[in-house]
Amino acid sequence: METFFNPSSVAVIGASNTFLNLAATICNLLKHNNYHGRVYAVNRKGEAVHGCPGYTSVLDIPDTVDLAVILLSAQHVPQIVRDCGEKGIKNIIIESAGFSEAGGDGHRLQAEMEGYLTRYGMRLLGPNCLGTLNTHNGFCCFYGFIPEKYGEGFVAPGTISYIIQSGGIGVLVLDSFTRDVCKVNKMVSIGNKSDIDEADLIEYFDSDNTEVIGMYLENVRNGSKLMDAAMKTRKPILAFKVGRTSEGSKAAMSHTAGMANNDVIFESACRQAGIIRLKSISELHSMPKIFTTMPLLRGNRIAVVTNSGAFGGIAADLLVEAGLEMAVLSEETQAKLAKTGQLFNAKNPVDLGPAMAKQMFLDIFEILLSADEVDGLLPVPNVWQDVVLEAIIELVKMCRHYEKPAALYIPNAIEKILHIRSKYQIPVFESPEEATRALAVSHQQHNYLLKKERHAYERNNIKGNGKEAESAVGV
Amino acid sequence: MKEIISRAMGRKQRALSEYDSKSLIHSAGVSTVREKLARSREEALLFAKEFGYPVVLKGCSDRLLHKTEKGMVKLNLGSAEAVGAAWDDITGKDDIGLDGVLVQEQVRGDREFVMGLIRDPQFGPCVMFGLGGIFTEVLKDASFRVAPLSEFDAEEMLEEISARDMLDEFRGSPAVDRDQLVKALVGLGDLAMQYPDIAEIDINPVIVAGNKPVAVDALVVLNS
Repeated sequence: METFFNPSSVAVIGASNTFLNLAATICNLLKHNNYHGRVYAVNRKGEAVHGCPGYTSVLDIPDTVDLAVILLSAQHVPQIVRDCGEKGIKNIIIESAGFSEAGGDGHRLQAEMEGYLTRYGMRLLGPNCLGTLNTHNGFCCFYGFIPEKYGEGFVAPGTISYIIQSGGIGVLVLDSFTRDVCKVNKMVSIGNKSDIDEADLIEYFDSDNTEVIGMYLENVRNGSKLMDAAMKTRKPILAFKVGRTSEGSKAAMSHTAGMANNDVIFESACRQAGIIRLKSISELHSMPKIFTTMPLLRGNRIAVVTNSGAFGGIAADLLVEAGLEMAVLSEETQAKLAKTGQLFNAKNPVDLGPAMAKQMFLDIFEILLSADEVDGLLPVPNVWQDVVLEAIIELVKMCRHYEKPAALYIPNAIEKILHIRSKYQIPVFESPEEATRALAVSHQQHNYLLKKERHAYERNNIKGNGKEAESAVGV
Repeated sequence: MKEIISRAMGRKQRALSEYDSKSLIHSAGVSTVREKLARSREEALLFAKEFGYPVVLKGCSDRLLHKTEKGMVKLNLGSAEAVGAAWDDITGKDDIGLDGVLVQEQVRGDREFVMGLIRDPQFGPCVMFGLGGIFTEVLKDASFRVAPLSEFDAEEMLEEISARDMLDEFRGSPAVDRDQLVKALVGLGDLAMQYPDIAEIDINPVIVAGNKPVAVDALVVLNS
């Protein structure tokens, strides 16, 4: 699978100098990114494209080729796939559409192409996809990708990997990350997934430098394979799936079938296999930072800290709606809090009022993070003075020390939030709803890891090896 | 159990009769109502006496759908006379050639749940647990898990329905025996893994008698 993201040599089949040729944009981007591998163009005239040597057939390329990227009309694809097989290319990306999804002649082309894949033992990504993107080495075969517009993604490589069924979602994530603390590691558009599917990629991202796996799915091809792959990784998997509407088999004989629909089953499978189901598409880029910058939320008792009474109440409502609890502070904790200065409220939500001293913020954060009755923080400090900013920079370090997360929201204009987040690299969320949701998914992941550990333990016990089962996942 | 299914498949049945359906789910670990299949009026009277009144009589055949609507279900029969009359009425309406008439204990309980099984095109067999009773399909309060299920999966299913509080002590009734429910749900998942010919299962209602969940009606649908 690594070759799909890091080929030593790649043939872009269909790239030519014709006006508005899509495959040529791939050659252009790879040159722009100074991609380390060798790039060849294959077209009817055998002409070079954006400095990539051109040939009329892959068979003429005087070099071994690791990966073929095919962007030609579907009718030509099966023959090209055969040529690739003859050339000894083992990895193919077909970006063209017009196969089984198109019906009619597409079925015949699909069958013919699959025949060659089997005959030559090749792995296929696609068809009807954009292929792969790797920010760490500058490899990208997303066609139409304009370096000047989205090149920023390659400047700051990250650790979040995405499996997507739409290029538009990829652009949304890359765009959003320009002013966030998270960055993309790899992105893969899986299209019709005739061969490689989301489960294969979860397995791959489990083994590379990925920290969080994001998925945008339009359908699931093999449910149990997906569940097995998800159960085996301890990296958070965040999934957004479209198609929430019912498609239950109405003609079914049983009531059970009438109660089930595709979405209900997907939801259940996510819970069972430890996949975090996202509620909105923006969570695909807003949630990963709670995992990369903060420890997991091990319990559900949250302390809210604010310098605005209103946000104390707002946060309390949101926490309860999200299935979390307002921590009940002990007498001892309240006494410690009271000593820090002129607090408006030493109960949860803790209200600092117009506090001015950085040390007061730090003392309060520390008292709450070290309190046994608190599992995590929801700080909602209005950044009206620089000291507040200095204090929340320190808070991020404290959270790691105490192994408890804080989901920060600052009730300021969105421009200020984005500025503070990107300039100081503080994981700030864009709304109190988003911050609360981040705590909820963090806690969900914690519970999933416990479940996976138990699952691994039970499976080892069923095998009857007698020994204390080694846990596949540590918490 | 294999014979029940292969015989039904051989006859190209779309479903198993209620009697065979319950034998099958019982073998998988679902507790079912005490019942016997009577093939004569005398047998029906004998079984009723054996179980003690009141009893329930139901026409039984794999081809009998919507038995309540067809007047093939007689509840709360408190005497031999009532059983005899119910027998006469059911057999008098029989136009499909019933296997016999089921005589069942009348199970009493305020709480009703449902269990079931479906095959999802992407995820395969999935087990369902939900709130039963007459509002089942309106409220759609149900949870699902993909088979095979661990006990932990089944425990989570019980916690996921909105009416989960009804599993605890409820209006003077004791807490439901959750272990029984877990065993049943895990068993249904295993059944689906073992017999690919089972397309769907509907167990409705599961009445909680005291603290024991008892399957009172069941339908096993086969692949056609």
